Amino acid sequence: MPEWGNILIRSISLVVIVFIVAKIFGKKQLAQLSVFEYMVGIVIAMIAANLSIGYNIPVAHGLLGLMTWFFIPLALSFLAIKSKPVRDFIRGKGTVFIKDGKVMEDNLKKEQFSSDELLQKLRKKNVFQVADVEFAVLEADGDLSVLPKKQKQPLTPKDMGVTVAPIKEPQTVVMDGKVMYEPLATAGLNKNWLETELDKLGVSIENVYLAQVDGYGQLNIDLFDDQLQTPSPQEKALLLATMKKTQADLELFALNTENKTAKQMYTKDSQQLQQVIDLVKPFLSD
Amino acid sequence: MTVDSQVKQSLASVKSIQSSISSLTARSQDKQAIEIFQQALPILDEIKNDLQQRVGQLEHEEEQYKGF
Repeated sequence: MPEWGNILIRSISLVVIVFIVAKIFGKKQLAQLSVFEYMVGIVIAMIAANLSIGYNIPVAHGLLGLMTWFFIPLALSFLAIKSKPVRDFIRGKGTVFIKDGKVMEDNLKKEQFSSDELLQKLRKKNVFQVADVEFAVLEADGDLSVLPKKQKQPLTPKDMGVTVAPIKEPQTVVMDGKVMYEPLATAGLNKNWLETELDKLGVSIENVYLAQVDGYGQLNIDLFDDQLQTPSPQEKALLLATMKKTQADLELFALNTENKTAKQMYTKDSQQLQQVIDLVKPFLSD
Repeated sequence: MTVDSQVKQSLASVKSIQSSISSLTARSQDKQAIEIFQQALPILDEIKNDLQQRVGQLEHEEEQYKGF
């Protein structure tokens, strides 16, 4: 067999092997949780590369090396799942860099980090001032995790004491002009509903690039033709507006009428409607 | 617009609110949302009944505005 034939066969079989190895290592290898795992990835890639074009290397030797570098890390990672000490040994532990707002210089030295590098890592996390940090730890994968001081954290609805409606994941029901039946069923809807909604917007399915349904059954679409304007769903906003208007009208009736019982009734009803508004408002505002 | 027709309009609004909330209840995926919407429905029912009665009274008082 000519040399190029040899290389071709080796390469093709290695593509398959490496693909399988990558599948088994899974997503975790991609995240590269430790220096060791990072190196394992490189070594496997290098063995595969050498074996692929190095036709003077015996296949058996190459495969042996590949298998060793495949199975030992795999076994270690299984052990690491089972036992915490093994995990700490293999993965390493995080090193605390900033605690109670104070930089731990000794820990920096231990990890061979200069003050410049610490600042750089902090800046990557959008922190430009060390004084804003309550706690920071260098993770085993070399990433710095930062907990900003409470007053430097973004404002949340909870801080404001605002009640917000829970959110559900949207379902993508049309992709590239084709109906996706499974997500549609997950959202508890069917093709008829989708066609009706698209009719309301005046578009046909073929023109829809993407369509998503939110947790309240509202349809958001993106068309192939970017010149066309598509309205975003207004139903909830409209409902809230109608409720507010009706509530105001009831109050007005209460003021205008001279009939005492009617006045009482209107007042009671307007109060009740206000209750309903307060109740559903978080769910109706996007 | 007469008082009578204004009240009728509000009655129609309440009915529309009720149906919108019902349809949202049917389409919502979230349990908490469904629960809240279902709490709202009977209250709206009450308001609707009150307004319906009031429309009846107004029609009785002023015969010429009768009819929906």
